Amino acid sequence: MNRYLLLICLALISVVLSGCWDSNELNDLAVSVGMGLDKKGNKVQVSTQIVNPSEVATKRGGGYSAPVTTFTATERTTLEALRKITSVSPRKVFSSHLRILVIGEALARNGVAEVMDSISRNHELRSDFYIIVPKGTTAKSVLSILNPIEKIPSNKMFSSLEVSEGTWAPAAKVELFEFMADLSDPSKENILTGIRIAGDASAGNKLSNVEQIVPSAILQYSGIAVFKGDRLVDWLNQDESKGYNYIVGNVKNSIGHIRCPDGNGVLTVDVTRTISKIKGILSNGKPKIKINLFIEENVAGVQCQIDLTKPETIREIEDLSNQKLTTMMESAIRKAQRNKADIFGFGQAIENAHPRQWQKLKNDWPDRFSDLDVDINVDTRIRRLGTTSNSAIESWE
Amino acid sequence: MIEQGKIAPYQFTILVILFTVGSTILIIPSGLAFEAKHDAWISSLIGPAVGLIFVALYHLLGQRYPALTFVEIVMHTLGKWIGGAISLLYVFFFFILGALVLRNLGDFMTTQVLPNTPIQYIHILFVLVVISGVRNGLEVFTRTAEIFLPWVILFFLFLIVLLPYQFKLDNLLPVVGYGIAPVARAALPYIGSPYAELITLLVLYPYVSNNRKAGKAFAIGVLIAGFILFLIVMTTILVLGPKITAVQMFPSYILAKKISVGHFLERVEVIMAGIWFITIYFKLTICYYASTVSLAHVFKLKECRQLYLPLGFSLIVLSIISYPNTTYFFHIVTRIWSFYSLTFGVLLPLIILGLSLMRRQGAGSS
Repeated sequence: MNRYLLLICLALISVVLSGCWDSNELNDLAVSVGMGLDKKGNKVQVSTQIVNPSEVATKRGGGYSAPVTTFTATERTTLEALRKITSVSPRKVFSSHLRILVIGEALARNGVAEVMDSISRNHELRSDFYIIVPKGTTAKSVLSILNPIEKIPSNKMFSSLEVSEGTWAPAAKVELFEFMADLSDPSKENILTGIRIAGDASAGNKLSNVEQIVPSAILQYSGIAVFKGDRLVDWLNQDESKGYNYIVGNVKNSIGHIRCPDGNGVLTVDVTRTISKIKGILSNGKPKIKINLFIEENVAGVQCQIDLTKPETIREIEDLSNQKLTTMMESAIRKAQRNKADIFGFGQAIENAHPRQWQKLKNDWPDRFSDLDVDINVDTRIRRLGTTSNSAIESWE
Repeated sequence: MIEQGKIAPYQFTILVILFTVGSTILIIPSGLAFEAKHDAWISSLIGPAVGLIFVALYHLLGQRYPALTFVEIVMHTLGKWIGGAISLLYVFFFFILGALVLRNLGDFMTTQVLPNTPIQYIHILFVLVVISGVRNGLEVFTRTAEIFLPWVILFFLFLIVLLPYQFKLDNLLPVVGYGIAPVARAALPYIGSPYAELITLLVLYPYVSNNRKAGKAFAIGVLIAGFILFLIVMTTILVLGPKITAVQMFPSYILAKKISVGHFLERVEVIMAGIWFITIYFKLTICYYASTVSLAHVFKLKECRQLYLPLGFSLIVLSIISYPNTTYFFHIVTRIWSFYSLTFGVLLPLIILGLSLMRRQGAGSS
């Protein structure tokens, strides 16, 4: 009898105990999917893109209000500003589902160490979001553009980056931990992918933007931002970004073109596989880098007067591809060297090969990097010609 | 003897595994990565190797006095007064160890999982479970350990198996690039905790049914636990890299956060936290059990039931006041704890064994 009484008591206690301190009801939370950080004087402006649940969850109807709302607040530090958002948001901001972190260009040029530290210290933020930098605009305006197809703009930016990194060479996704690890590392500088607003930014934050077939404003990834320490110092253009991604082995799949052997028109190639190896060498105490890039391509489009049925032609195309890739990679390296920012991790390659000598080299590494000898060796293999053999253009002649 | 129960050698192995993995699994990768960087995994192999030497020492000691409890061994060799004082110091050692283990769990919960919950309530709830475990006696909580160990292994395998595609082999380079010194330096705190703490298990030694096999069971337990800890260190370095690992408070939890299979199987880290919930529970239970039983032996009490509740409350208080902030804790762990635990885990047992050998005591002389 006593036993049963005890059991009942325990059961009753558990009812009371479950009302714990950390209960968070879903309908009391504002789920933040995107966070933007901008510089406002010596303060930080935090913008959060909050999902509007009634708009996103409905199967039918909806469309009366925007699927997301962007709140902003400005304070001396990031977390203060984030907390201050409660003064405009009806619910507590919940950041565990963050998809994208946008760091405004002005802030990035001024140094991101403070904001990144508070973000990595916060237990609520996970590490599975990507970090990007808007080019020529602010983080707030990037988070204020509505997108077609994907209702939540931050999700669009997240998946757009994943898809384009997989199929289009100039994009690179960077997660919090990679960024933090490289931030403190003299042997590797950071990069972040840039994003820009194509079209009329002011029209982008209205629902009407997605009511048209061709939206007035759309978000587009473009270029790669080069960091030195925690400051943004330069941008890589599209070709340099491609070169960067080939060097570090980020390219899974891409499309590129090379000039025809006779100089008229271009030839499109589809990159299907790449393997890149960076090797650090010390010759007479002088650091040197050797890059070996192995790349497999398919011919995807031909505007040239060439005979693709001959093995020599293929060899010729392979040579042209080697040259083109080498120039792209060299241009990326030149720009990085001009900024003395080792974004490729060449220093790491030398550290891995010669850890003891690296201890001496690392102190003036930025200067050494700026006139470092880099030996690039590209090995292109053309594998297939697509579904047709010779071009129709060729047979007209 | 107060404890009437007996445990089989394989059950002893299970307790050794859970005790050694204990709270170490939660924090060890960052400590090792801080000093040894890429080579943290090598340091993690030195730990169990040295641990085996300690086990040999404890086995020698336990074998000489198969019928005596740990406190009785100490009193027997060092005399009533000095022995009694040393035994009391041992009681404090087990007790402080328990408090730190408890605080580890509390800190983890308030940092990562329940940031708004007062740490006292987490400690109270946890200690209540520990007391109920100890009240039921050695045999019962050992059988509980037997039930829970497969779950620990299962979750652990789950954690390891879901991560290999995030491995970056470059994180291991350069291998021993900076010489052996940082590797050895990193290993010292790891030897201090948990391997020198294994002395706590000597309290359970007389209750192992087959005293001869106890040493082997002890060694196997240390080896398995060492391997588990090696795997977690290796995986953390491979996935997070030495730099990120070194700055994390709870790297294993961050590791579990990294699990993401096709954006589908993710956010499972709290389930993974079940691993150290269980291991910490058993480490704490063993520490608590060792301190209460030893205290009862020192004062020759007939039974120690009346000690459980008051000591449990003291444990909660001690765990809260033992250190004021995280920085202080790191200071204790890196600078002080190893020497404290090595004094009690190696130096004193060596002295006791030496005295006993000189006087040709033991082996049934009791």
